[in-house]
Formats: sequence, C-alpha cells, structure tokens
Amino acid sequence: MRVNVHFYSYLRDLTGCAQVVEELPGGSTLAELRARLDRRFAPLAGWGGATLWAVGLEYQPPAYVLREGDEVSLFPPVQGG
Amino acid sequence: MTALAHRQGLSVTRHLLITPEPIPEAALVQGRRLSRAAGAAVSFVGVVRGTEADQPIQGLAYEAFARMAEHQLHKLCDEVERRWPVESVRLVHRVGLVKAGEVSLWLEVVAPHRGEAFAACQWLIEELKRVVPIWKKPVP
Repeated sequence: MRVNVHFYSYLRDLTGCAQVVEELPGGSTLAELRARLDRRFAPLAGWGGATLWAVGLEYQPPAYVLREGDEVSLFPPVQGG
Repeated sequence: MTALAHRQGLSVTRHLLITPEPIPEAALVQGRRLSRAAGAAVSFVGVVRGTEADQPIQGLAYEAFARMAEHQLHKLCDEVERRWPVESVRLVHRVGLVKAGEVSLWLEVVAPHRGEAFAACQWLIEELKRVVPIWKKPVP
C-alpha cells in the first residue's frame, strides 16, 4: 500500500523535502513507517528530539495501523503562541 | 488572510484565524460584542521577544499545518465550551516572519464572570501550545 508522508518544521529541514510517498506492506504501523523513513533519511534517524504523528487531522500513536492512501504528518513538538 | 472559522452557535461566538498579516489589535477590541450577561472579557497578547537564548534576533518565523491547526483549535474550543460558560472565544495567530516586538497571538474570552474567563483563556493558551501544529524558528 501507499501512504503520503508530510514533514514539517525541523523535520522537513532534516529530510530536505516536504512530502514523500512510501510503499509499505498492508497492516504496517506508524512505528514501522518511521523505521522505513529512518533508513531512507539518515538525518531523520539522528534526530534526538521528540516527534509527533498525525494521520489526517488527528494525532495517532506509533501502534496505529496504516491504510492505503493515508495522509501522514510527522513533526516536532508544537510551539505556537 | 486565511479565514479559518467563524461560527455563531446557540450562544457562543467563535472566531479563529491564522494569518500572515499583522494582527489588528485595536480593530479586534473595537469589534467586541457583549451580551447583557457578559461581565468579563479577558484577553492575552503574545509578543515576540527580541532575544533567543540570550542572543538578539530579528524575529520568529512561524509555520502552521493550517488544516490540522484549525481542526485542533475547534476541538479545544469545544472543550472550553463544555468546561466554562463562555459566550465568545476569538483567537488570531500570526504565521510567517513576526518581528521582535510584534504580536504573534491575540486571544480573547468573554464570559459572565472573571473566574471562568481567566481560567478558559489560560487553559486555551496552554493547550494551544501543546496540540495545535504551529512551529517557530528564530531569525537572527
């Protein structure tokens, strides 16, 4: 299956791109997607800060099971205000 | 300007805006609407400091995941309305380069009494900083 991954803020700087498409086996989780992204983007693997995940417009935990076409966002802790 | 939302509910006015434009504080205050039951209007103005880690900066560059930010702000306002008898919540958050000394966030809560207005305003700011996807980077 394919999912679209969007990077924001410092994580976009680390990957050098705002969006990628990842192909994953059906039933993959966000944690498995992260492992795949870490292999693809070495600077991301070295990021020592916390990361947050959203699928669509909602936060999701690493155990979230992805579905075909999911819009996944990966970003550092938020800093509004 | 990106108008995120303007909702007139049964009795609660909700106005949420994320914008690259300077926040028009005077116009916002001028635009306040109070019912006869309103007894408190608490507002908070967030201003960009001129230093970051003791070093002078030009300002902060704000970035938002706008659709998710809108969604999360609405969820927070839903919770505010469940917790406190507010009659209006107005929030404007600026994105893009905000220079030192300029306003990055303007928030106002109107309620019958000061206790609930203060509490709702503070809770909303704290939660905004926890869940609304907006980020900032210092610009030297």
